[in-house]
Amino acid sequence: MRYALRKVGLFALTLWAAVTLNFLLPRMMPGSPADAAIARLSQNGPVTDETRAAVEAQLGVPDGNILQQYLAYLDQVIHLDFGISYAFYPEPVSGLVATALPYTIVLVGTVTVIAFILGTLLGVLAAWRRGTWLDALPTVGGSFMNTFPYFWTSLLLLFFLGYVAHLFPTFGAYSATAVPGISWDFFVDILYHAALPAVTLLITSLGGWIIGMRNAMINTLGEDYVTFAEANGIGGRTVALRYAARNAILPNLTGFGLALGGVVGGSILVEQVFGYPGIGFLLFNAVIGQDYPLMQALFLMITVSVLVANLLVDILYGVLDPRTRR
Amino acid sequence: MTSNHPAQQAGPSGAGPSDVGPPEADPSDVEEILSLQDVSVVYEPVGAAPTHAVRGVSAQIARGEFVGLVGESGSGKSTLGFAITGLATAPARIEKGRILFRGRDIASMDQDSLRSQRQGGFAMVLQSGMNALNPVRTIRKHFHDIFAAHRHVPRARREERAAELVGKVSLGPEVLDLYPDQLSGGMRQRVTIALALSLEPQLMVFDEPTTALDVMVQHAVMDTIRDLQASEGFTAILISHDLGIVLESAQRVLVMHDGEIVEDAASADILHRPRHEYTRMLLSHYADPRAEVVTLPGLEDRAVLRSDDPSDASAENPASSSPEPADPSAEPPDPSAARSAPAAPAAPPAPAASSDGASSRRAPVSRLRSGGTELRLQGVSKVYPAARRSGRAVRAVDDVSFTLEPGGATALVGQSGSGKSTIAKLITGIERPSEGTVHLGDTSVGDLGRSGLRDLRRTVQMVFQDPYAALNPLNTVEYTLARAVMNLTDVRRDGARRRVRELLETVGLTPVEQFTGKLPHQLSGGQRQRVVIARALACDPQVIIADEPVSMLDVSLRAGVLSLLRDLRESIGVSLLYITHDLLSARLITDRILVLHDGKVVESGPTARVMRAPQDDYTISLLDAIPNPRRVLTP
Repeated sequence: MRYALRKVGLFALTLWAAVTLNFLLPRMMPGSPADAAIARLSQNGPVTDETRAAVEAQLGVPDGNILQQYLAYLDQVIHLDFGISYAFYPEPVSGLVATALPYTIVLVGTVTVIAFILGTLLGVLAAWRRGTWLDALPTVGGSFMNTFPYFWTSLLLLFFLGYVAHLFPTFGAYSATAVPGISWDFFVDILYHAALPAVTLLITSLGGWIIGMRNAMINTLGEDYVTFAEANGIGGRTVALRYAARNAILPNLTGFGLALGGVVGGSILVEQVFGYPGIGFLLFNAVIGQDYPLMQALFLMITVSVLVANLLVDILYGVLDPRTRR
Repeated sequence: MTSNHPAQQAGPSGAGPSDVGPPEADPSDVEEILSLQDVSVVYEPVGAAPTHAVRGVSAQIARGEFVGLVGESGSGKSTLGFAITGLATAPARIEKGRILFRGRDIASMDQDSLRSQRQGGFAMVLQSGMNALNPVRTIRKHFHDIFAAHRHVPRARREERAAELVGKVSLGPEVLDLYPDQLSGGMRQRVTIALALSLEPQLMVFDEPTTALDVMVQHAVMDTIRDLQASEGFTAILISHDLGIVLESAQRVLVMHDGEIVEDAASADILHRPRHEYTRMLLSHYADPRAEVVTLPGLEDRAVLRSDDPSDASAENPASSSPEPADPSAEPPDPSAARSAPAAPAAPPAPAASSDGASSRRAPVSRLRSGGTELRLQGVSKVYPAARRSGRAVRAVDDVSFTLEPGGATALVGQSGSGKSTIAKLITGIERPSEGTVHLGDTSVGDLGRSGLRDLRRTVQMVFQDPYAALNPLNTVEYTLARAVMNLTDVRRDGARRRVRELLETVGLTPVEQFTGKLPHQLSGGQRQRVVIARALACDPQVIIADEPVSMLDVSLRAGVLSLLRDLRESIGVSLLYITHDLLSARLITDRILVLHDGKVVESGPTARVMRAPQDDYTISLLDAIPNPRRVLTP
């Protein structure tokens, strides 16, 4: 319990630092959004003072000293008020993020969890049956699939299964004709559209989990406590799972934490290729459209989700490994 | 499932033809529990040549016997132990022969029947009990896993049985709630013994059960094993590299060398009438540090100034070469007088032949010439602050004072945690003393800055315990030594190359050409440790701190490294601080000794006097913890 409290305290401190950095960094950059907009306008001709004042009024120029700005910013963060998007004017940033987030969490989050569980199980099996086909198939297959760049995999799947064979849709999160809402039809439609991007992500991330777990498990299989458990006649399944795999999974959890934290950042390329309206897609458009409020909100959210994922994994680690509690 | 039926114990009737074992010392009609018949084990690593670790071993072990299996590293003793307990796994393979346990061949048994044999059959306690427990399971769960696997203890009795078992190894039931990392090394090894015992085995194999433990703990754990063997009545096989431990416990000893059993005899016969030269060689490396005269082959006691022919000593039993081990309490301490008497300067300076020795031992000629640096510790303490607010500060070194004269040799002796390694860190400037001063000549080590510490490396060098870890496996001997020469001296290019050759000659790695291009893994443990010593000598230091330099080496290699360390004092006049828990080697190569306990010096003085007439209780208990077969076996 002391361990968990310590971790939460550390989390709060890091969170504050991240939020503050997110406030400071844009202010340390030279220029401002208004300057960028005016620079673009000036390509077409001279910019009058009235135009400049208008642009600044529209984008909002910070007032008050830096401390007042900081307090106002904190107040906005707490109320999840990140202003109005430039690229999707006049949509509020929070609304845009709220719409995109579920898609990404469902797609990337589910795939990450499935890939971790499936890859770990296959890795355990490969190490336990080392040297048999149960080892060779996932290991060789996993490293083979890992060598594919995922945008290439996604293009291949899109072309053959989507464009040529017409088995799957090639764009979007749901059909143009579907009625968004809580209904069975819409749910099936969502799954149907998520299939190709999900398979792409699964194919490219599975191999890493298999190989990581296999190698960790082969190491723990050589540990004395495994030999001693066998010498005591403890059954194979217990030795494999509770002695070898149970210890081998610990270092992999850290990797899982990082992967989970990355979920909210989305998968920019995959979402872009499949036209999937998740966070990655949004971030891409924010960068293209120099949409500072949207970018700032997205960066903050990505940072926070990495921190939260790490906190969860840290606490889980404490539960699973008694040594970290002391 | 039928395996632990008494009917099965009838003997090797169904398993094989007429079972003629080799003649034994006591061929009475005791029942054989284990019979090894021409067993060979081969290692077949993928992509490497196979190694025959055990070759055609035959032996019989009777029910209730306590048998020792002794050999140096690479002798195949652990491989045989794993084969006996059915744990030989790839790349090891039982090539031929039969291992009959109560008449049934283990070698050809499938995994399931093997597993059922483990309850009420054979059990094993592994070498490093430290790692034999699953770090994420409590001790209770370890017991319950075994009970669940064999179902030989009814569910309602399991908790009670687990408490009873830890009680048998002198632990309280509260350890059941703990995780392995909450136990000390000795407690962990006790728990593994209790776990093995929970199988109610008829045969227990102990593979180096105390090697990773401290001397005092070692002694206590061995006592527990002996008591249990007597009370529980299991048959025991004790595998060890330490003939002393084995002779003290076992009734019969099998001596293994190069995969073969070269001698199989009762312990008393091994000790007093060894037949094989390898057994004699092993025995020759044991001596009682309390004896009036202590010799090892190539390392004769320096009190004896008239050694006859040390090169021949390897073939003889120290029991015959030295006067009978005297009772230290009965005799007045007097060899110190003989020791300190400067008898040697009268003798003509002998050429530095390492095997010969006694004549010119005294005067560290070259260092006297160059002046030399004295190492002086005055009231040194080191306190490590508490790791956490709830913890307590640790006083690792407490008011230690001593002086190491130029060319002198002092031993720091104590069990782990006694502060001896912290003292080494204080002298090398890795740590700064909390109180007191460490002086090297006029330099106060504790006050040195970064560049001062770099200069200190030229004066003080260390030799570490593990020569495997102390050498970069990717660098040749020449590269390793040349780096040391160039880092610490101004010698470059051809000069550095010449210096490397000189160093190799100094440490006895000749012909030099054979060693310069070698990588660490191509050298034996003793050779590797010589390279480490050569590296320490690269800058011609004044003080060498050797931290357990021989504890990882086989006994037959120890004497060579020890005599090298001792001879360096005469040949180049370096002074030696020898950190060890091994009192015998301390007796052989040092003049003075400091016994440390909980950071304090509890006793100090001339080495021979302290060993022969120890005053402090702790020193006495350290000396008593040394395995002493003669104490048990001499009528």
